[in-house]
Parts: sequence; C-alpha cells; structure tokens
Amino acid sequence: MQVEYPKPKWTDKFLLLDMFEGLKTTFRELFRPKVTIRYPEERLEPADRFRGMFRFSYDRCIACKLCALACPIDIIYIDVHDETIEQEGKKKKVKVLDRYDIDVKRCMFCALCEEACPTKPKSIWLTTKTYELATYDRNDLYFNMQELEYWDDRPRYTGLPEEEEKPRIADERRMLGE
Amino acid sequence: MNPWMTYLIWPLIKFSIAFIAVQALVAAMNWIERRLLGFFQARLGPNRVGPWGLGQIIADPIKFLLKEDFVPARAEKVAYYLGPILPLLPSFIVFCLIPFGPPPTFAVTNNINVGLLLIFALTSTAVYGIILGGWASNNKFSLMGGLRSAAQMVSYEVPLGLSIVGVLMLTQSLELEEIVRYQEMNSWNVFPQLVACFIFIVAMNAENNRTPFDLPEAESELVAGFHTEYSAMKFAFYMLGEYSLMIVNSCLAVTLFFGGWSLGMGGIGFTTEVMQKMGWVGGLIGTGIFVTKMMLFLFMYIWFRATFPRFRFDQLMDLGWKFLIPLALANIFVTGIVLLAFPSRLYGDTVIAVGEIMLTVIGMIVIALTLVLLFKPKRPKVINASRVSEA
Ligand code: SF4
Ligand code: SF4
Repeated sequence: MQVEYPKPKWTDKFLLLDMFEGLKTTFRELFRPKVTIRYPEERLEPADRFRGMFRFSYDRCIACKLCALACPIDIIYIDVHDETIEQEGKKKKVKVLDRYDIDVKRCMFCALCEEACPTKPKSIWLTTKTYELATYDRNDLYFNMQELEYWDDRPRYTGLPEEEEKPRIADERRMLGE
Repeated sequence: MNPWMTYLIWPLIKFSIAFIAVQALVAAMNWIERRLLGFFQARLGPNRVGPWGLGQIIADPIKFLLKEDFVPARAEKVAYYLGPILPLLPSFIVFCLIPFGPPPTFAVTNNINVGLLLIFALTSTAVYGIILGGWASNNKFSLMGGLRSAAQMVSYEVPLGLSIVGVLMLTQSLELEEIVRYQEMNSWNVFPQLVACFIFIVAMNAENNRTPFDLPEAESELVAGFHTEYSAMKFAFYMLGEYSLMIVNSCLAVTLFFGGWSLGMGGIGFTTEVMQKMGWVGGLIGTGIFVTKMMLFLFMYIWFRATFPRFRFDQLMDLGWKFLIPLALANIFVTGIVLLAFPSRLYGDTVIAVGEIMLTVIGMIVIALTLVLLFKPKRPKVINASRVSEA
C-alpha cells in the first residue's frame, strides 16, 4: 500500500509543528508499558528449540562413543570396559561406562553430540532450557557422569538468596508491548 | 525588629533552608532524570537500589566520594581545582534572589530592585568554570569542549538577554516580585510574550549545555568534553553545578513567564493578596505552587533531552545568530509598536491596557491553533492500495 502524508503547510512550519510532534511522540512513549525483564525476579521462558545445559541419562546410554566422535572440539571424554552378562541363558557382551565427562566451559552448545546419539530417546540432550550456568570457579564447569545426570543438585549461582520463591515467568505479551 | 535579625539572621536561616532543599533536589534530579529517560526509552531506568531505585540518590554520592581522585600529570593545578567550583557559586548566590513564595515570608533576601540584572550577571559567569576546566586539563578533547562552551554561551547569552526585554517592557520593572505581581494582575507573560518565552526556553537549554545543545560534552565526538579528565568528587561538582543551574533557570522561567508563586490571572484566582490573608499557610501554598511549576520545567528539560538529537556546531551557531537573535529583536520591536500604538485607556473608572490585552489574545490564539493542529489526526492519503511500497 502506498500512502502519502499531507505536505506540511507554511502554517505548520510557522508553528514549529514538527518539533511539537516529536515532543508528543516521546510523551506518548512515557506511558507505554516497558519491555524490561527484571531478571532475577522474573525471567523469560526460552523457546522450545533453545539449547541450554545438557542432561545425560546413564540408563539409556549404550556407550557407543558416537557423541565424543561428533563433538567438533573433543570435550566429551568417554572410557568404557567390556563386561559379559548372563541374559536369558545366553552370554552377552556389553560395554559399561567408566567415565563420561564433559568440559562444559569449552562447549559451544552446537548440539552435534545430541544429533549423533543413536538411542531413542537421546541419551544426551540440550533442551533443558537452563541457561543459568555461571559459577564462581571455572573448574566447577567440568561435569562428570553423575553431575551430568543430576546437576539439579549442584549449588549454582542464581543471583537470588536460597529461600526466594520460584521466579515467575515474565508475561510475554508485555514484551511485545501490547 | 532588631536590624541584625532582619538583615543577617533571618536571611541566613531562609537561605540555609533553600540551600538544603535545593541540594536535596539536585541529588534527586540525578535519579529522576535517569528514571524518566528510561521511561522515555521503553526501559525502566535505575530500579535496583532500594524501593523504586530511590537508594540511587544516596548510592551515587557515596560512589563519587570513594572513587580515586585523579589529577592529570601536567594539568594546570589552580585552574583545574577551580574549574568544578566556579559554576556552583553563582547558582548558590542566585537562590537567595529568587522569590520562592509571596513576599513577607518566603523571599530569602529583601527585595532587590535590580534582581533580574543581578541574576543574569551571576549566571553568565558559570561558563568560566567550564572553560577553565577544559583548558586546565591538558587534554585536547577538554580544550575543544571548553572552547565550544565559550562560543555557545556567548551566542546564547544574547537571545536570552533580549528575550526578557519584552517582559520588562510589559512589567516595567526589574524586581522579580514586581514581575510576578504584574502577571497575577494581568496575564502570565507566556501569552503576551509567547515568542520571548520560546526564545528563553531554547536559550536556557543552550546556556545549560543540555541536549540538544550539549556540544561541550558531545560524548560521540569529544569523549566527555570539558570534564573528560575529571573524576570522583570534582566530576560530581560539575554535575551539581549543571543541575543547580537547571533549577535556577527553571525558577527564572517560572518567575518571568509563568506567574511565579501565583495561580491566577487578571487579579482573580489564587493571588498574593489571598495568600497573604491566609498567613504562613498561604505562604507555604504559594511556595508549593512555585515548586510544582519549577518541577514541570525540570521535567521539560528531561523531555527535551529524550526527544531532540544534538545539533551540529554550525547548526547551533545558525540557530543562535540567524534565527533566535533576529526573532528576539523582532519581538522587542513588535511589542514596542503595539504598546505605543495602543496605550492604556480610561473607560469609565477602569484602566484598560489595550495593547497588552491584544498581545495576550494573539498569544492565546497561537497556542490554541498549535494545539488544535497538533492533535488533529493526520490521515494519510492512499495513492495505490495494491502495490507494495518500495520504501
Ligand atoms: S554441544 Fe558441546 S559437547 Fe556437544 S558436540 Fe557441541 S561442543 Fe561438543
Ligand atoms: S552417542 Fe549417545 S549413546 Fe552413544 S555414548 Fe554418546 S550419549 Fe551414549
């Protein structure tokens, strides 16, 4: 649609209407709802595709090392040993994980490890929507197998005292300025 | 009464009250300005320290006090230390001269019959601090800022001075109280002196180095202009000076154009007589009205800052010399002609100031016209509804 605004007349120029128009616009802005999210008290829910901290499931993992192969910067460290177990009368050789460490401080959250994982559902996945990973010590970002599975228990810096109630999710409509 | 009481003790007490109140306001202005600018720009501004971020008012001075006080190695020491203090002094003195409320109680000093001249003489010295600071810092950016400030002050002092001539012609007095009395008896000077009011507001923004005229500190070109090399409390003193001067200028604008402490025109409404009958309560109410009007002006400063982009230096000079000064001169000329051609006449028992009423009516019509045109919805004309706009 092509529109044309009326040309300013000489009276408009004489009365400095452009200037006052600008003032009017900013004054209207003054009463608009603000887009700021007051972070520690309220926070946005990340989108479903958001890649946050990963989680690992020991039970699903078949110790195939495909994720370690896929990782472009080789920060997944896997050690396995073979074990023979009796299952339904037959002897069966399985791989058992000794070590599954991820050096998360170097991770770029490319999710190639998740993509490579052959199990269904994935044994390692990044869709936890957790992004508050800051720590006071860089070594705290080296996660071993147990920590990768149960990192909920790890003490983490959230910017809030412990007893604070669960942060509310910011109203998304407000973000759009409706 | 004991002359010591009249001439020393009372003025001192009143001055201390005014001084403390103004300093508190200056400290609060820092927070108010940042908060309001935030609101203007769709964000919240400082809101973390204390309720609504009010703790910022205390936190900022503490931060300034604790910072390292850095002096550049080859700075001109005396001038460098004088720089931040000089802009403060005139604004402190000027607070004694401004009538914050109706006469018997609330003017700090007794009436000075050249009050307006004195105020203008004092406020124009504020620029020395900026020039000195800019020169003494031994930094090219500071020097540029100082020089710009000097040029800007000189250019805008002229329209500022010329714009009040029209007011003086109407009120025939340099006494601020007299000017306020005139306004409540006739009409607020905005209406008969609309052009002068406009020039005054623009020039007072420029005098104050506020956006859109903040070329002396132009952070996109000059780092921070004249206060690039200032840190800690010295920098805070510059801020203090700027905000004090803002308040002084707002007070002046209220007194000269918006009826000072009175709330009424043509002798009706909330005038000095009414307040004086009410005693000190009336005085307090008058002061409240004055402060409210002043706050509106401070809001206007912030509003302008949020709205207008900074001028280029040549545009600034053009605006000052080619637009404001001729306009101020024309305003003086027209006011003089009207006052001469339509002198006050005696109709029956009452004196009617014909010329002043004419000016007032014209001013009101212009304001009304501006408002009507501003709020008239501008409907865009659709030329071609089918095509996607190239723009
Ligand atoms: S998400 Fe991290 S661990 Fe996974 S492949 Fe990418 S870099 Fe490696
Ligand atoms: S790719 Fe999946 S199943 Fe294979 S080792 Fe990695 S996490 Fe385990």
